Amino acid sequence: MATTETNILNRLYFVSGSLFVFALAVVFKLCSIQFIQGDAYRELAEKRTVKDFEIPANRGNVYSADGSLLATSIPKYDVGIDPVTSSNKNFETYIRPLCDSLEAFTGKSASSFQNKLRKARETDNQYVLLARDLSYSDFIRFREFPLLNLGAIRGGFVFSQKTKREHPMGRIAERSIGYEKIDENGYATRVGIDGAFGIKYLRGENGKRLKQKIGNGQWKPIADFNQIEPKDGYDVYTTIDVNIQDIAHHSLLGQLEKYEADHGCVVVMDVKTGEIKAISNLGRNKNGFYYERLNYAVGESHEPGSTFKVMAVMAALEDKVIDTSTIVDTKNGIKYFYGRTISDSHRGGYGKISAAKALEVSSNIGLATIIDDNYSSSPNKFLDKLNKWRLDQPLGVSIIGEGKPDIAKPGASNWSKNALPSMAYGYNLTLTPLQTLAFYNAIANNGELIKPRFIKAVKSFDKDIEVFEKEVLVDNICSDKTLLEIQDILKNIVIRGTGQRMYSETFSMAGKTGTARTDYANFEEWKKDKKYVSSFAGYFPADNPKYSCIVVIHEPSTEVGYYGADVSGPVFKRIAQKIYTDTPIIEEVQSLDFKNNIVNEDFGNYNDMANKYKQLMPYVVGMPAMDAIALLENLQVNVNVKLNGSGVVRKQSIDKHQKLKPNQTIVLEAS
Amino acid sequence: MLRENQRRFKFDWITIIIFLLLVAFGYVNILSASHVGEITNYFDMGQPYGKQTVFIGLTFILIILILSFEAKFYERFASIIYIVAILSLLGLFIFGKDVNGARSWYGIGSMTIQPSEFAKFATALAVAKYISDLQTNMETLKDQIRVAAIIFTPALLILLQNDAGSTIVYLAFFFVFYREGLQQVYLIVALALIILAVLSLKYGLIVTSVIASIILLVRYFLRKKKRASLIQYILVLIISIGFAYGVKLFYEHGLKPHQQNRISLWLRLEKDPAKLERMKKAEAYNLIQSEQAISSGGTYGKGFLQGTRTTGKFVPEQHTDYIFSTVGEEWGFLGSSFVVILFVALIVRILYLAESQKSQFSRVYGYGVASILFVHFTINTGMVMGLIPTVGIPLPFFSYGGSGLWGFTILLFIFIKLDSNKINEW
Repeated sequence: MATTETNILNRLYFVSGSLFVFALAVVFKLCSIQFIQGDAYRELAEKRTVKDFEIPANRGNVYSADGSLLATSIPKYDVGIDPVTSSNKNFETYIRPLCDSLEAFTGKSASSFQNKLRKARETDNQYVLLARDLSYSDFIRFREFPLLNLGAIRGGFVFSQKTKREHPMGRIAERSIGYEKIDENGYATRVGIDGAFGIKYLRGENGKRLKQKIGNGQWKPIADFNQIEPKDGYDVYTTIDVNIQDIAHHSLLGQLEKYEADHGCVVVMDVKTGEIKAISNLGRNKNGFYYERLNYAVGESHEPGSTFKVMAVMAALEDKVIDTSTIVDTKNGIKYFYGRTISDSHRGGYGKISAAKALEVSSNIGLATIIDDNYSSSPNKFLDKLNKWRLDQPLGVSIIGEGKPDIAKPGASNWSKNALPSMAYGYNLTLTPLQTLAFYNAIANNGELIKPRFIKAVKSFDKDIEVFEKEVLVDNICSDKTLLEIQDILKNIVIRGTGQRMYSETFSMAGKTGTARTDYANFEEWKKDKKYVSSFAGYFPADNPKYSCIVVIHEPSTEVGYYGADVSGPVFKRIAQKIYTDTPIIEEVQSLDFKNNIVNEDFGNYNDMANKYKQLMPYVVGMPAMDAIALLENLQVNVNVKLNGSGVVRKQSIDKHQKLKPNQTIVLEAS
Repeated sequence: MLRENQRRFKFDWITIIIFLLLVAFGYVNILSASHVGEITNYFDMGQPYGKQTVFIGLTFILIILILSFEAKFYERFASIIYIVAILSLLGLFIFGKDVNGARSWYGIGSMTIQPSEFAKFATALAVAKYISDLQTNMETLKDQIRVAAIIFTPALLILLQNDAGSTIVYLAFFFVFYREGLQQVYLIVALALIILAVLSLKYGLIVTSVIASIILLVRYFLRKKKRASLIQYILVLIISIGFAYGVKLFYEHGLKPHQQNRISLWLRLEKDPAKLERMKKAEAYNLIQSEQAISSGGTYGKGFLQGTRTTGKFVPEQHTDYIFSTVGEEWGFLGSSFVVILFVALIVRILYLAESQKSQFSRVYGYGVASILFVHFTINTGMVMGLIPTVGIPLPFFSYGGSGLWGFTILLFIFIKLDSNKINEW
């Protein structure tokens, strides 16, 4: 083959041709990357390069009134291992010691761990969970286990940190302290105080930090500051008193267990301020154990039964349609109202008794008669009273899910001729235990109806963010006369009425029992399995009350007992008793500038003398030496005072009433 | 006087301007790819861009030096330069320093020098010198073997130092030999071997054998001259199959796992999605990052220092081998095309100048320069965009690094000097 001119040219063409082809290929590929795959690719790439990382704010704590922790957030760790990543040598060297450590930690056998890890390694399973919810100190321990201590890449140590809400007090008041849970779909479950104050106070605001991907799951912050600093949540100080809560919880629990009741609640409220000192809600699970399931006190609106008789009598007293001595005929324990019998629990009835007595003995007939006689022509007059007392509307407490009261009204489907007499003894209307309590508290608080309060203050460290004050709902629910009368009756109920069995000589209580049928829609069914709600609402001490309290126990075992005084009364009594023995009596100091009589007297003497002896020698024997010197040096005549010893002056060198000369020396002997 | 002046400045300014544009644009992109935070000091020797500033500064001194030698010097001393280069490569086995597993660096204080970058122009000079010898006839086997020895000696040494990428560059001289009269058959054989290798890896030995047999059979019956016998054809077939088998064996046992993976990814050999994913994570990470960076640039790019993927340091080795992805991201399609055009223009210009040389030495050398630049450019851009398997070689004048920049500068400016001297050649 000769290297001819054309041949060379062809070769040149070939070389530049292949150059051209390749350059074309490069441009084509460029087009393909930048335009054809570009858009989808680009979006993906951009999304992945820079990302906002949320810096979770620390959730605030929930404290009791005295500063005990009720709810707090603590970090927890889930620890796992990637059994695939470690080298054969490391895996084989450390697998046994690791499994021994795991056995020591978890109590599960080392061999089962070993089988699991080996199997995972064989099947390329890159994650095996080793332990969940570890505390920080346990997490540190885990990190030092053989193999795991080689780190993420060589040892396969994998962990994730999360924050868990803990209730250091355990199950006590768990439901009222509550929680806020947000599931994967963003749906939130909010319960109790933690739930109610979550968004506004506890949660805080998450911060943001812009990070940039630096490859292989590694992100580095773009700037050395956070784009948005996280703002920690505020702390919420509840009104809950840990001691009273503890008493309430355990008294209720004991009684529920004794009566094998379905559920119950107890609330203790500070009479003057409306602060809820304790709230306990216990429900029974399938196995017969009780725990905080639902907030019955706040959420469960039910027919109150006899505790409502107090409202009925008060309405009648306030409308002056009766007075306490008005006689009602309760017959022989059975009376017909519009074709329906109303009976009293006392066999044979009470006969003709006063209105006050009717309430004391909790006569259904008595109350039905009073209300029916006086209001059947104008039921709205009675209902207006209830509305005035705000019994027709929720209290508006901070805890979410407050039950709505339901009071029958003329014209409504649940209204009949019998509605009014039924209401008189607590049926045909529903109230929540907290509402009933608030009303009784108003009686104790001399007529001022206040809203029950769960929160004292919201704080950020020691700074008050918001302080919650007493909130008055109704200034005066009734006249003083009515108030005194009803207070008297409530006191007598415990002394000689249905609450007699609770009576104690050592401390006084006032209140009303309640025993209501529940679930009686099908009366035949009900008769087979009688279900009651036993309650007791009242306050203590009877005079100058400090706390009001309500106890409601649903469906106690009728074989053991079901009367309010028997089932709920003892819880009330126990709380009252405990509070009075456990709470130290504090003598209130009225004013800080109290007067000390001795000092006062001394000063009086000094003052008198200083005025009297301006130029004469006063009698200073018996005076404190310091006072004597001050006195002498402040006379109108300048004298020199010499003091021997200290304490009280025993002797003075110049007799009293002697005229003093300027610069004369006076010697005082003191001891 | 005028003639003297004319001669002195009769350099090919087009080439020089393209060179300057490439270096300047490269520097801009190195700034982007290597800066961390604010750029406060362009001479910050702790930063790659700072070093590059110095490298570029020294380059101009180097250029003046190269241009100040007599053109004849290079031809005369070609052999000596070549021997020095080979010795410096050999010296690496004793004095060399390991960087990223390749023993291809001399460490002098904090500086490192990579002799393989300088061996390229030395080899080009040696090849030019040998081929331009009047005795040499590229059509004879003897000379072919000798020339092959000239290029394969440095190539082998570099391969032994674990720098497979740079070895491939020496295949560039194939173009030179082809231009200088190497028989067509070599080209056909080379193409056939590449096709055979790809076929055997992609479709297996049986398919490859069948296809080879069919092609040879057709060729046998359509042959014009009855010169070759059937036995010869069968022999070719057996050699082909043997070669295919050898390639497969070499692929499976001779290659390092990462090299295997790169080829596997390029030819899409792996079918198991889980394994493929792991392979991609291990081997294609750079490529995927670089493709994403380029694609995110769009038509006009994000602007100087604005590339999020570049400033985020997503693409490993971005300021060296993957510098083209910075161009793609920050300057977009327009910027990338500009770079491609610059390179094509440079290579075409060199080829044009080479063809216009009167001396064969200059022409062969020019071809060598064009071929080396061509191979570097195609392999580098192809690798950055996934056109070809990953082979770590720099983009000439663009990538960070003193040795590379100086090596290419010497390579190019010797040719510019030779070219400037053509009016003296008769």
